[in-house]
Amino acid sequence: MSKKLLVLLFLTGIITACSTVSPGGYYWGKYMYTYHDLVKDPSTESRAKHQETLRDIISESQELNLRVPPGIHAELGNLLALNQEVDAAITEFNNEMELYPESRVFIERLMSGVSQGGQE
Amino acid sequence: MKYRIITLLAFALIIAGCAEVETKMQAYPKMYSPTEKPVSMLVVPVVNKSTAADAPDLINSTLTVPFADNGYYVLPISIVSDIFKREGIVEGSQILGLPAGVFKSNFGADSVLYVTINSWDTNYVVLAANVTVGMSYVLVSTADNSVLWSYDQQIVVDTSQGQSSGFILLDIVSTAINTAMTDYIPIARQVNATAVATLPYGKYHPLVGQDGDMEVVLKSSREKALEQSD
Repeated sequence: MSKKLLVLLFLTGIITACSTVSPGGYYWGKYMYTYHDLVKDPSTESRAKHQETLRDIISESQELNLRVPPGIHAELGNLLALNQEVDAAITEFNNEMELYPESRVFIERLMSGVSQGGQE
Repeated sequence: MKYRIITLLAFALIIAGCAEVETKMQAYPKMYSPTEKPVSMLVVPVVNKSTAADAPDLINSTLTVPFADNGYYVLPISIVSDIFKREGIVEGSQILGLPAGVFKSNFGADSVLYVTINSWDTNYVVLAANVTVGMSYVLVSTADNSVLWSYDQQIVVDTSQGQSSGFILLDIVSTAINTAMTDYIPIARQVNATAVATLPYGKYHPLVGQDGDMEVVLKSSREKALEQSD
């Protein structure tokens, strides 16, 4: 019975958690909102807003001594690559691989696209 | 606030045991096997069985956070969905026949998450409206195509807010406004959160491997997800 109660309390905790650090131990900032806006209305403006969010997540995670969430460095790298900022993009892709070794196959594929002159 | 209460009630019902409940370990033994437990997860385009054409893209945008928070390396969905679009794949049903192993060689993913939108609609009853969002989730191993995790979840929310202006026409208009497209997203997030609560923690979660005894898996919901995705 007490275990069930614990589970209930735990789930309630997840649902009510509004603090800056997520239950999984990440800082997501405005990720959900700017990504949603980007999907709903892809434009230079929504892309710039999302890029700003990604940078905020990276700097705030370092500040809070947290692991940067999965995919954030890669997403930033991808946006930089679309902007022809190749060197900065490669740096972000390397950051993703270093933090999450299981991303290697995917990131190397992205990097080969970038070094071949953009992936459009 | 209202969503929280409804979700909480849903959990309370599950836990009170009106139906057959399994522990995470009983329901998903492969997720506790050191050789079969996945680290990375590829979310492929959503299968849309609802009538809302823009639902898949919006749903896509809600999936990263809950699954990453549960301890998995989720391949960046924004990049992945662009790659699929470039290959001409916009709807999940286009790839349902493919063996999951394809995603191992192309993306290096240990597992593939198939999400199906079963309902995404509003029922008007004169002055009241209910929004229903229902989704099923099936996680498949890219090593051998076996199912690692599955769950079906539906949430119904009363969006009429219960306040009447006294003018019937106004009330009908405000009910319709209250039930605009964007209202589905917070509900979809609740559907995700409720389903993900049954998913065993992954490598990056502090409690990985310690949640096998949690009695949170409704057997019927686990089995229903498999039927929905057929």
